[in-house]
Amino acid sequence: MRVEYINPFVEAAFNVLREVLSDEVKRGELFLKSTSQPVLGVAAIVGLTGDVEGRVLFDMKRETALAIASEMNGEEISEMNDLAKATISELANMITGQAVTKLHDLGFKFDLTPPAIITGDNMEVSNSGVEALIVPVELGKGKIEINVAVRERA
Amino acid sequence: MSTIGNRIQQEQEEKVESIDYKMVTFSLAGKEYGIDIMKVKEISKAKRFTYVPNAEPYVRGVYNLRGDIISMIDLRIMFNLPAQKRIDDTFEDMIILHLDEYLIGIIVDEIDKVVGINSENIQPPHPIFGDINIKFIKGVVENEGRLYLILDVEKILGDRTGEEEDRIRPRLVPAAAGPERKGPRKAEAGPSEIDYSFISESLQTFSSFYVSDINRKWFTGRFEDWKQQRGKSGEEVQLQEVEDAAQFLRPFYSAHTGTFWSDEYRERLKEVLASLQTGGNLLVWNPGCGEGYETYSLAATLKEIFPQPQCKIWAHDHDLLNISTAPNLIFNSNILPDSLLDFTVEGKNGLQFNKTIRDAVLFEYHNVLHANPFPEVDLIFARDILSFQTQQDQNKLVLEFNEKLKPGGLLFIGENEEIKHPDFENISSGRIRVYRKIER
Repeated sequence: MRVEYINPFVEAAFNVLREVLSDEVKRGELFLKSTSQPVLGVAAIVGLTGDVEGRVLFDMKRETALAIASEMNGEEISEMNDLAKATISELANMITGQAVTKLHDLGFKFDLTPPAIITGDNMEVSNSGVEALIVPVELGKGKIEINVAVRERA
Repeated sequence: MSTIGNRIQQEQEEKVESIDYKMVTFSLAGKEYGIDIMKVKEISKAKRFTYVPNAEPYVRGVYNLRGDIISMIDLRIMFNLPAQKRIDDTFEDMIILHLDEYLIGIIVDEIDKVVGINSENIQPPHPIFGDINIKFIKGVVENEGRLYLILDVEKILGDRTGEEEDRIRPRLVPAAAGPERKGPRKAEAGPSEIDYSFISESLQTFSSFYVSDINRKWFTGRFEDWKQQRGKSGEEVQLQEVEDAAQFLRPFYSAHTGTFWSDEYRERLKEVLASLQTGGNLLVWNPGCGEGYETYSLAATLKEIFPQPQCKIWAHDHDLLNISTAPNLIFNSNILPDSLLDFTVEGKNGLQFNKTIRDAVLFEYHNVLHANPFPEVDLIFARDILSFQTQQDQNKLVLEFNEKLKPGGLLFIGENEEIKHPDFENISSGRIRVYRKIER
């Protein structure tokens, strides 16, 4: 993972989360992972193309997703309905969008694919051949793991 | 990034500083126990002990450990714990302890690992621990969600007299030195061998430096120097803390680690590099680039020898703190050798390398043990990387180097490292250690 890419993702995640949630946002220690890892329950995935190829995955528990969706919509949402899913994909879109904008300013050209939401139990994500940068974010409502797996286009 | 970096560093420092007690952990009847690592000489597996008639039931017999005859105590029988039914001829885990002037072996269910803890976290045992008499337990400590009972081996097996009458007193055989030792460390006497293995163990814990065939030659020599040096100043031979380990390793690092290369070093390197055949673009892999001083020096040196072809260097490090400043490294002219000045430009905050050099290098936060997604390279520059991987990973990495290097390509490793591989021909020059991949 190119060093220049790391900061924009971390910063974008913090800016956006702080903005949309009236909650404390704490960063865990960044690390690299290449093996498959479990998905917590709700995953929003955004693809990246351009100078690089890869994807960004936002992974959280169902309860965390519902709490975030409730807060962002200003109403209590108790099940993973269309509104909740749309809210989480929007959050993923905002964070990735902001990161890509920052990267653009640094001279890297990225494009995004529309976010997709995947929900379910006992899921795993594997990054065959690419290691993923994990940015753990602690919220009062729970934890979001941002999993960035990109590689330079050879 | 610097604030993030600082926090990571702080967290790491706190973690390292707090470890001052290490223990070898093992299980007996499903429970976890620990023994102070300073009492442990080594661990191994063995079977078929020589039966000693008329001994206590918990004495399984004696065992010949490279010439030393050692009594073997079965802790499960000693503590009346259920032992798994033993299938004949299977190896059992044993820990060789070094008590006073005796060696003694204990047989346990399964040896787990070495756990480092802070001795302040050791809590006194509670009477309800039950299974094992409380006076044999030094304390209890929690680590990563598991509770370990720390056994006081001296009380259990030691030979001090007149303490408790009901103390269990196994019959001890003095650690006799055999006339001729077999094995690789033949020349060393008993205590020295212990220091040897403890120092290598401490280096693993404190500095994640792994002694193996790659660096054993250096380690053995350094160990002798260290012993003499410490003996003279009256200090402990063993490495007590991180600082000791760092001091031990100081002579290990290759020339100009973490700084720009001197003109002299670059000249010598150029002589070696001149033999490199390149067709078209020059591709280089620099794992463990740290803060980038090495990578930039290398980039400039390559540019001088091969002005024509496009040069591309993949520089990797898994330490985010170090590598985060590398792409925009800013420095003072006083640490820069004059010959490198031509490659720099004056920036707002100090000197920087020019665009040609910076464009040639791609710094990535990457663990080299993960998949390395780039094409075959002409040159691998990996000084002092191998020694800081576990033995298994060292082997894996040598294979990876072999796979990633074009035939005829060059592999640079640390000055105090060596590899043996049929595909690599040693063409070292002076202190620079370099191998050429044989074209087949």
